[in-house]
Amino acid sequence: MTETQTTTKNRTKTKLVLDIIIFIAFLIAMEPRSSGITIHEWLATSLIAVLIVHLLLSWDWITQITRRFIGKINSQSRLNYILNWSLFIDGTVIMLSGFMISESLMPYLGIQLPRNFAWRGLHEFSTNLFLLLLGLHTALHWSWVVDTFKRYVFQPVLRIFSSKPSKDMTT
Amino acid sequence: MKTLGRILIILAAFALVMGMTYAAVNAVSSSTTLRTFDGAGEGSPRPEGAQPQIPNGQRPEFPGGEGREGRAGGIVRLILGTVKNVGLIAVVVVLVVWIKNYMEKQKRGAQGATES
Repeated sequence: MTETQTTTKNRTKTKLVLDIIIFIAFLIAMEPRSSGITIHEWLATSLIAVLIVHLLLSWDWITQITRRFIGKINSQSRLNYILNWSLFIDGTVIMLSGFMISESLMPYLGIQLPRNFAWRGLHEFSTNLFLLLLGLHTALHWSWVVDTFKRYVFQPVLRIFSSKPSKDMTT
Repeated sequence: MKTLGRILIILAAFALVMGMTYAAVNAVSSSTTLRTFDGAGEGSPRPEGAQPQIPNGQRPEFPGGEGREGRAGGIVRLILGTVKNVGLIAVVVVLVVWIKNYMEKQKRGAQGATES
């Protein structure tokens, strides 16, 4: 295996693990009434760092499509690009509106922010929109999700179970 | 160094979107009469233009925000909520993948017809 192949394999594995973490964290953050407002706020804020890593891992694709967006690219890449920007903008709106209505994180940091009900409405609307956009994002990457799960999760697990047990030396 | 530059670009984009959102919400708030913390249920309504009186360090509760932590059955609610959200995402995924496959089949069928 060449060095480039190993790097690509490692990057794909990292992306998969990271995406699973983001997905689980997002699901927990989506339920503040159950997890508690403190967990909700700190978890969502820590997601910023994970999302930055997620963007860094896809940096080559982002720059490539940004350069070629006006020119000739296939419609799926264009749709993906627009969808990813929508996710980024919506995610940022969720973060900002979340900070503005924060009940735990901002008071902990000693920051007092002016509040009005518009932020809460915006926070709820953008979160619901994010759920829909996340579904579309997953759908457009579905073949990647299936292939990567097969290669790095299902096949290794099957290999463990299908491997013959070593002979007992005492018999 | 390259990674740091990329992180700064991402953070700049974050800041730009946040700034635009903040400005937009403020503009909308100032042009429309918004309900703020005017001490509902504490007597006479707050005079126009007066700032709400919030004791220092205290955060007023929004509706539905009370007692969300440490509730019994929180785990059950978390599981149910998660199932609902995953279900919603699954519905979107199934629909989009099905439409995409159907369109690809149609395209292949049309290509096959023109080739033969």
